[in-house]
Amino acid sequence: MACARKWLNRVMADSLGILLAGITLVISCALLAKVMHGPNVYWFGNWYPHGSVIVGISFLADPISIGLAVLAATLTLLSLIFSWRLLGSGSNYFQPLMLIFLAAMSGFCLTIDIFNLFVFFELMSTAAFALCGLKIEEPAPLQGSFNFAVTNTIAAFLVLTGIALLYAVTGALNMAQIGLALGARHDPLVLFAFALLTCGFFVKAAIVPFHLWLPDAHAVAPTPVCVLFSGLMVQLGLLAVARLRFVVFAQTFASHETSLQTIFHFLGILTVLVGGLMCYSEHHLKRMLAFSTICHMGIMLLALALGGALGFAAMLAYLVGHAFVKGSLFLTSGILLHRLRAIGERSLFAKGKVLRWTAALWFLGSLGLAAAPPFILMTGEAGISKAAEQMSRSWISEICMLGGMLTSAATLRIGMHTFFGWGEEPITDEASEIGELPETASEDRRIFWYQFVPALISISIPIVLFVTPLWLSVLRNESAVFTRQSAVLHLVYLGGPVTGQLPAWNETFKASAVRGAVAFFLAILLACTSVFRHRLKRTFRIGAFLESGLRPLRVMQSGHPGDYVLWLTIGLSIMGTISVILLRS
Amino acid sequence: MPDILHLAPYYVAAWLFFCGLYGLVSSRHLVHSVICLAILQSSTYILLLGIGYRIGGAAPIFADIDPGKLTVDPIVQALMLTDVVVEAVVVALLLAMVVKAHEKSGTVSPDELRTLRG
Repeated sequence: MACARKWLNRVMADSLGILLAGITLVISCALLAKVMHGPNVYWFGNWYPHGSVIVGISFLADPISIGLAVLAATLTLLSLIFSWRLLGSGSNYFQPLMLIFLAAMSGFCLTIDIFNLFVFFELMSTAAFALCGLKIEEPAPLQGSFNFAVTNTIAAFLVLTGIALLYAVTGALNMAQIGLALGARHDPLVLFAFALLTCGFFVKAAIVPFHLWLPDAHAVAPTPVCVLFSGLMVQLGLLAVARLRFVVFAQTFASHETSLQTIFHFLGILTVLVGGLMCYSEHHLKRMLAFSTICHMGIMLLALALGGALGFAAMLAYLVGHAFVKGSLFLTSGILLHRLRAIGERSLFAKGKVLRWTAALWFLGSLGLAAAPPFILMTGEAGISKAAEQMSRSWISEICMLGGMLTSAATLRIGMHTFFGWGEEPITDEASEIGELPETASEDRRIFWYQFVPALISISIPIVLFVTPLWLSVLRNESAVFTRQSAVLHLVYLGGPVTGQLPAWNETFKASAVRGAVAFFLAILLACTSVFRHRLKRTFRIGAFLESGLRPLRVMQSGHPGDYVLWLTIGLSIMGTISVILLRS
Repeated sequence: MPDILHLAPYYVAAWLFFCGLYGLVSSRHLVHSVICLAILQSSTYILLLGIGYRIGGAAPIFADIDPGKLTVDPIVQALMLTDVVVEAVVVALLLAMVVKAHEKSGTVSPDELRTLRG
């Protein structure tokens, strides 16, 4: 398709892209139906294992991996429908790049060979760099894409160094074989490899202090690309960490579970706080949504760090819900950019009063971000609170609530300013003054059905999934298989059937629903203190105070690639030192 | 041969890694940043080849030598070649972006190209 692009006119390229994404979705769904009966291991070139030595590359197709591939295909299809008449993809680079991106993400989810994981990681990243810098008429996308590319390429090389060290220690490249060969070793070399791999994937997953590339990349990428970035690409970093934790390093850390949990929890809390506070202080719609992604990634890291099948299942439920809610919010901001020609809060002030349906989508999205009842984010959060209770760390639910509240408050504040026109002129900052050139031609400024329908579908999928709990039992049982190293080894070496069992967590639903509702209510209050700040006394202007931003955090987000690499190095050194000190026997 | 020389590839790899990292952090020219990134990537090549080397091993082509003879590890050579391809693509993409950035803004210094702060 990339070769033929010169001869394809715009309509044909768009339809071909949508058709191929649709075919991928159908194939993934068919595969999902097939592996419900039992996971499948596919060996490329029929290089089956000889005894305990694995000589081939394999894809482990279990319902969770294929489910994530289905998610990738769905989001790509929705984005391609949205971008039917997007400017700047006139030379037809956009559609092949999106399809390559989809292919790389699907491969990343499925593979169980660690070098294959690296190759798909690089392919995904390169397609992402190109997609991010697609709008070459403005100077900002090139800088955003450059920062993104430099940081993520360093991350990829950290991952490769970790893989090289693991290969040196075990002589194996298949994750199952590495897990088997590592046994319970935890000498400093293995711990160093762990630190390198984890930090590399944390850069992709935008965990503090490796998160600095994300807002820049999101602020400048075209809207449908942002949907894919925040919806799935960033979360795949955490999926890779999960595979490492449960399959490769399972026995290494068996005796140091609590120390590992503490490290990850600390990083998760830091990410939630930094992401949430910066999210509230942003006035550029896409940067605000980018910081909210960082906040929610912190929540997902907290879920993953709780360990075991329950934490992982909760993380996946939250991931799926978040992908669709965030996708819908990005698509809605794309609709606003198209219709109102602006993306900064001050320039959008009171202009959206006529857009009733768009307002409905936006406010549903903010309800979803607070993990309130009709969305499966609440299901995820219920799982997190049950796992937290089991580990006697129930304050984690409060942190999740805080994160949800901050991000939801930011979207509510922007919604109130834009769609209702309440309050005075919003506070603004340098980043949002720069704004963005509109992505569509200016002749026709109606909202088209192909822009509205993907956003509507995207916000209704989490509600539908919430109401039909059938898939949840599959998720639970498959998480039990995914997180047990012995089950994965059995699958890869013997291809045999394995089953898992995980009890439901329905008893925490009510508490989670209450927490979600309280978070949303507090978010409304916080947004109101910001919107109506001129009518309040000085002490109550909490919202306005948070909105002006905390100076050290803003200085950290400097836009200079050298600064980002410095933070990456600092984070890597701290992580490496702590791993070797705390986790060595 | 003193044992410490057996570790020479690893020292070289570590030195290249830190040189590249330092260059990236203190860079004042975007093309210089991209080349520092390429230096970082070369450190992983040397690490991989150092891991695969066997002292006294022959090249891993069995067309003309006995299959039981000691050879160096071919898997890391394959990994390294994949790595080279990946680096070529990323460096090409980044240099294209730098050229475009120069066209649009007239400067190639990251200190001056700071539209994305805050």
